[in-house]
Amino acid sequence: MENLTIQATKYTPEISLDTFGMISLTGKSYPENTFDFYEPMMKWVREYFASSPADETVVNMEIIYFNSSSSKLFFDFFDLLDEVKDDNKISINWIYDEENESAEEAGEDFIEDFEDLDIKLVVK
Amino acid sequence: MTVHENKLVSEIESLKAEFIKTTDKLIKDVKRQDKIMARSDKRQQQEYDELQVKFAEVEALQKEIEETQKEVVFTMGAIGESRSKETGLHVKRVAEYSKILALHYGFDEKEAEMLKQASPMHDIGKVAIPDSILNKPEPFNPDDRKIMDTHAQLGFDMLKMSSRPLLKMAATVAHEHHEKYNGNGYPQGLKGEEIHIYGRITALADVFDALGSDRVYKKAWNDEKIFGLFKGEKGIHFDPILVDIFFDNLEEFLEIRDRFR
Repeated sequence: MENLTIQATKYTPEISLDTFGMISLTGKSYPENTFDFYEPMMKWVREYFASSPADETVVNMEIIYFNSSSSKLFFDFFDLLDEVKDDNKISINWIYDEENESAEEAGEDFIEDFEDLDIKLVVK
Repeated sequence: MTVHENKLVSEIESLKAEFIKTTDKLIKDVKRQDKIMARSDKRQQQEYDELQVKFAEVEALQKEIEETQKEVVFTMGAIGESRSKETGLHVKRVAEYSKILALHYGFDEKEAEMLKQASPMHDIGKVAIPDSILNKPEPFNPDDRKIMDTHAQLGFDMLKMSSRPLLKMAATVAHEHHEKYNGNGYPQGLKGEEIHIYGRITALADVFDALGSDRVYKKAWNDEKIFGLFKGEKGIHFDPILVDIFFDNLEEFLEIRDRFR
């Protein structure tokens, strides 16, 4: 399986998917069509866990600005991780700036909704 | 008696389990959507509040910039005045005449108002003319005249570096207010519409006021004589369109002259 990197744009984050067990999203997320934009990432993640995932997978998400469909997409993404968590060691870092209240609240929402996932709030 | 368990029951039970699973998922999804929506609404409100604050700041800054420009121009005009023997009222009248000419020429209110503010700077170059010439009570000899005439170029040189709209306008006014429509003016000898409209307007406003005022070296002309000169200089010294505007709206000009006498 190949690594996948998607460069950041004005409206989308940089996405870096590494078969050694590193998934990172960095930047802003308010694409015109959120679900189309994230489809390659979701496909990669599904295939990654279905084929030969690393012993431990670390997910780093540092999204400084996101629209509501991105929030929805992130829930879907965590759903996906939730489905495979029993067979994989996954740790998720939700990284945000101290002053970024909406990012903090979103992180809290994820923790509340995914009790069984290891999501940590990391203040920069 | 043993009753066979109806196969339907197990089928329905399995359906029930599926149904519960599906409805649970639906409920979870709806709750998530509501949460996302609530967060989004809250954030939108914050963002819009912030935007409004920023807009107000930008507006205040814009105003500050405009006021500063006005003040700079006004102060420079006052410096120019203090160097020449003309009174502050001359500058005020020229400003008002310029605005009237500009409006009738077809400028919008904003640009006409800008010209009103910029036109008092037309003689700013005089700050660099020596007192011995500037204050000479007798008529200028050709050498004096030559030095005196440099004030247009000097004024332009002082202002030309600015990229501020009002100061740029003032630079044009200072540079071109002694150009003549027929090309016999100075410093560039521009002709007709080569002379910027700001220069053409200020030229007429300045001369009209100068002729009607007492100066150290001459008495004020009467109106008849001034009007005669304007008619004669139509298309020669002055833009013919502006001369027409002047005569068509004479009352407005005379009213200003009375008001700032």
